[in-house]
Amino acid sequence: MGLKRLHSILFLSFILLLLSACGGEETSSNESDASTDTNSEERKSLTMLFSFASSSIDPHQDFMGVRAGIAETLVKIDENLEIQPWLAEEYEQVDEKTWKFKIREEVTFHDGTPVDAEAVKASFERAVEENAAVASALKIESIEADGMEVTFTNEEPYPAFVSELVHTNASIIKTDADNISEHPIATGPFKVESFISESEINLERYEEYWDTPAKLNEVTIKFNSDANVRALSLQSGEADIAYHLPPEALDPIESSNKHRVESVPSLRVHFLLYNQASESLQDNRVRKALDLIVNRDVMVEEIMNEHATAASGPFNPDFPFAGDSLTVNYDPEQAEALLEEAGYTKNDQENLEKDGKELSLTIATYQGRPELPLMAQYFQAEAANLGVKVDIVTIEDIDSYLFEKQDEWDIATYSNLTAPRGDGGYFLNVAYLPNGGLNPGQINIEKLNELTHQINRTADPETRNELKKQAVSVIQEEVPHSFLLHPHIIVGVNERVKNWKPGSEEYYLITNTLDVE
Amino acid sequence: MTWRKQIVKVVSSRLLQFIIMILVLSFVTFLLMKITPGDPIRTILKVDDVGVTLEEEQELREAYGFNQPILVQYREWLSNAVRGDLGDSLITNRPVMDMITSRLPATIGLAAGGIVMLFIIALPLGMLGAVYENKWPDRLSRLIALAGASMPSFWLGLLLIQLFSLHLGILPVMGRGTFAHYILPSITLGIAMAPMYIRLLRERLIHTLKSPYIEAAEARGVRRSRILIVHVLRGSLISIVTLLGLSIGSLLGGITVVEVLFSWPGMGELIVQAVMQRDYPVIQGYILVIGILVVTANLIVDILYTVLHPQIRYGKEGL
Repeated sequence: MGLKRLHSILFLSFILLLLSACGGEETSSNESDASTDTNSEERKSLTMLFSFASSSIDPHQDFMGVRAGIAETLVKIDENLEIQPWLAEEYEQVDEKTWKFKIREEVTFHDGTPVDAEAVKASFERAVEENAAVASALKIESIEADGMEVTFTNEEPYPAFVSELVHTNASIIKTDADNISEHPIATGPFKVESFISESEINLERYEEYWDTPAKLNEVTIKFNSDANVRALSLQSGEADIAYHLPPEALDPIESSNKHRVESVPSLRVHFLLYNQASESLQDNRVRKALDLIVNRDVMVEEIMNEHATAASGPFNPDFPFAGDSLTVNYDPEQAEALLEEAGYTKNDQENLEKDGKELSLTIATYQGRPELPLMAQYFQAEAANLGVKVDIVTIEDIDSYLFEKQDEWDIATYSNLTAPRGDGGYFLNVAYLPNGGLNPGQINIEKLNELTHQINRTADPETRNELKKQAVSVIQEEVPHSFLLHPHIIVGVNERVKNWKPGSEEYYLITNTLDVE
Repeated sequence: MTWRKQIVKVVSSRLLQFIIMILVLSFVTFLLMKITPGDPIRTILKVDDVGVTLEEEQELREAYGFNQPILVQYREWLSNAVRGDLGDSLITNRPVMDMITSRLPATIGLAAGGIVMLFIIALPLGMLGAVYENKWPDRLSRLIALAGASMPSFWLGLLLIQLFSLHLGILPVMGRGTFAHYILPSITLGIAMAPMYIRLLRERLIHTLKSPYIEAAEARGVRRSRILIVHVLRGSLISIVTLLGLSIGSLLGGITVVEVLFSWPGMGELIVQAVMQRDYPVIQGYILVIGILVVTANLIVDILYTVLHPQIRYGKEGL
């Protein structure tokens, strides 16, 4: 009996091996079938690989709703990072708390029902109910629906409201549909065919799309958090577009004539965050000196392999409110002079000290963005040349550490989207106001606080931009942060992909114009 | 009938152990989660994307009851869990039970694939090592085992993808769907687990080959291949099954790396995200389910033991 069992095990494994070989062939023959189909029926399909997996595609919870072309918002930001109407045909501010939006007549949900003001109202009510972040971003007191007209009343005067509507979780969906987390029904050029949580989304063209129907018949979005696997997948032809490739894996992709690499500056900035509770860093001259010893060009070249833009302020330089692009010049001599002015002198060990106390700083960093620890190391080396001792600590949960252990760190490497929806007011509020959610360094600059409050009350876009520019110059003067660089979004693209370029905002990945040869 | 009684006894004592173990396990997990710095509030509020003040954070923290004593929070979780309600994910608002049950089949499927590959790799290499003890096939088998043990599975997986997907173009890189999708992740998992089994099997086989009853069988003129397969291998399988039962926990842990690498929509992907986002109910639910799986696997091993081991099956009467 034992012998029989062993025989059957061996036989089974043999069959398995055989099957595996067949399985492989089967896939490839399927693929060739698909390509013949394309020739005869012009069925076009594309596979995109993205790094952050979605466990739900409820557009009110997850970014993929808008990213995948399933759902749309009332307004969007265009390639020039300016706000444009989208599902809303036009909008106006009635008074400082009231906004009126006119919805496009021809818009329908994927099940064919027309979208009217009532549907939009219901969608916003659900978004605010389901998502605490959206509720606090939109500050809606009441919504009124009348035919195709929706009127929003804010809890307080809120000039940034329209820009906050760009938030992908504020998209319009059919609220009385079943299973929204896996099968949302919305208005985009693509509808959901199937979704496997954290693995893939299969999309099909929505024929009755209100704008020009999509060029592609079907799209698959797959998730993989391993950057090397994404790169291999692009090279093997399994994916047509692969997001967030590691700079060190680009050589074979760039040298192949089948692929191209797109690299666009993101709306993100990597920076050093100075702890205002740290005694030595309260002196503006010390912060300025540290700012001067960072060679941005070296960081861009050596750490980011050229896939970054040197930063001079918090905002992507393409924004009209980014302020003057005064790149900080690398100048260790001036840094030394500033520290001397601040009362620091070199001791026997060539370290800087003041009142018998050495200038010794702790920089906190985290592995979540692998380039940040490298930047901390580079900073440590430059500081050592100057005579400043820097210790590096690597922290798993950087946010709780920075907030809860404020007496343990002096500097932190950090990274943020500074104007994710095209309005810099967000970052000024969270990163610089004393009670801001992203201000663990206890930054509290009176002049800046005033400007931010003023921005929060100002509706006129021109004046807002002017105020934001002023805020940026206060930040550049006070140096509560040292802005290092804007990392690029690196995307590998198969040459068969047409009419597509990654946007800085990373909101509109799958569009109706995206095409393949 | 004695061995049936034996099974009933094993099952009932195991059930009691199981309940105690799950209680301890869930409490320790709960405690660890709560004393680790950080909570999901900032993720829920998407602080890195939406303007939020510290006051708003604090309000929500209180609304979720995260500022209450740990014992109060645990009691609430436990009383719901006993009623079969594992709560909703704090991040996606979906019921934890649904999230887990929708992924469990993928993980079990991959684990099964890994075990099949494990046997395909370990059986021949272990036997080769024992039969040709200290000769070149033995050394080769040990070298392969050493190589397998020294290779981290994420790297091995990348190498396999490079070979089979990029250069040969015969297997898909990632995802789950067809049979072909099972092959690379299963091989990766199988190779990662195999070394321990190759060595164990080799040792057991060598030990058994030298025992008197084998010599007796040889003296009786029984064919060597028959001795090897019927007498020796079967005796050694018991230790393999034991080891398998004991290592189910580490298998399920090791699967996580493979799942993340191959975008396998199983529990591994789920738990990695949940831990990073501090999604407490999902972490608790995951630990509970894995705990149940491990205990069940050990139970099955105990039952298999009685089947494979005549001494246990027949009790003393059998001898």
